[in-house]
Amino acid sequence: MSEADAIRLAQAGDAAAFEFLYRLHGRRVYALCLRMVGNPSDAEDLMQEAFLQLFRKIGTFRGESAFSTWLHRMTVNVVLMRLRKKTLPIASLEETTEPDEETGGPRKDIGAPDLLLTGAVDRVNLERSIEKLPPGYRTVFVLHDVQGYEHNEIADIMGCSVGNSKSQLHKARTRLRDLLQEEVREQARNERQIAKTQTGQAD
Amino acid sequence: MQCRELDVFFEQEGLAPLSAAARQHLSECPACKHFFDDVTAIVSVAHQLPAELDPPEQIWISIRTELIREGTIRGVSSDRETVPWWQSITELFRNRGWATAAVAMVMILVAFLLTSKPREQVLQVQEDPYLSTVTALSQQEHDVANMQLASTGETSAVDTSLRQNLQQVDEFIADCERRVREVPSDELAREYLTNAYQQKAQLLSAMMDRGGSLN
Repeated sequence: MSEADAIRLAQAGDAAAFEFLYRLHGRRVYALCLRMVGNPSDAEDLMQEAFLQLFRKIGTFRGESAFSTWLHRMTVNVVLMRLRKKTLPIASLEETTEPDEETGGPRKDIGAPDLLLTGAVDRVNLERSIEKLPPGYRTVFVLHDVQGYEHNEIADIMGCSVGNSKSQLHKARTRLRDLLQEEVREQARNERQIAKTQTGQAD
Repeated sequence: MQCRELDVFFEQEGLAPLSAAARQHLSECPACKHFFDDVTAIVSVAHQLPAELDPPEQIWISIRTELIREGTIRGVSSDRETVPWWQSITELFRNRGWATAAVAMVMILVAFLLTSKPREQVLQVQEDPYLSTVTALSQQEHDVANMQLASTGETSAVDTSLRQNLQQVDEFIADCERRVREVPSDELAREYLTNAYQQKAQLLSAMMDRGGSLN
């Protein structure tokens, strides 16, 4: 069965077609939900809600955009709606690290050591930092840099311009860099603290 | 090219391919080179993160149940009275993963009973092969009930679906048990009953897991 066949059959209420579409896209949607909310229980609820909405509206799908784009748009809407309701610490979508007033380059924390992240970034601290991003940045970063969507697809999913998608991605990456630097500094502080404690115990 | 211009370039064009002017600036400006290296490292690790993850099977079961209930999936009645019980139980085990897991659990259970029970207990199991399973399920159900009483969290859609599915499975079990009592030689009914017990065990485990993750 092709995706197009499955869509046509699902529009007629065929059970196997619904399952086909779920199996085809479910793993990708679940990964997106999980990265967006950070815990499996919420991700399961959101995935269920997104697919239910999709299947209820499948009769209105006319194929103007790709089915996966339509599904992802619905999923992103469901997730962002939930995040707004949950009153999580959401920063403005425009909140970012603005370029330094004087140099025009990326702003640095005054007095903070300029850490080089190369070699210090791993999947664990990156996942943790992604969770700390504002939802808008997180969505664009996950769609582009993790799931491999192009800016025109992301613009379609998020209902924004291509330029806006590019801008959000750049700001998301810049913010991630700050978050990861903070994470690495925190890690270094902890290691120093442990070393200090061990030295104290040895004396 | 100045630092601000490079920042605009990154925003509009991304990290690659770099223009000659951008490469030139990066070779002269350590701060921008540092930024470029950091972001490149972040993107490289992001590409290693899995873009797809396996959702729990329960989600599809819940979606399907809901779609049938509301009539979005047509041709499959949600009215239990009009659906023969063996068709419903077959639907539950249509997925190969569930069926494999159920069969594996049955085999483990039987092997455990045969190897760990004294001779007289094995004889008793042969007389009532479901007794230990029913006892274990009752205990599991009791634990889930206690856990839910202790929980003060909100009831989610998945939790509600799990409870609805559990109720359905309980109804199947009642049908199967009645059939086995009426016609003890009905092997198919026995097989469905065993499957239904396994389904119930999995649902209770899922409920326990969710309760554990919420508390």
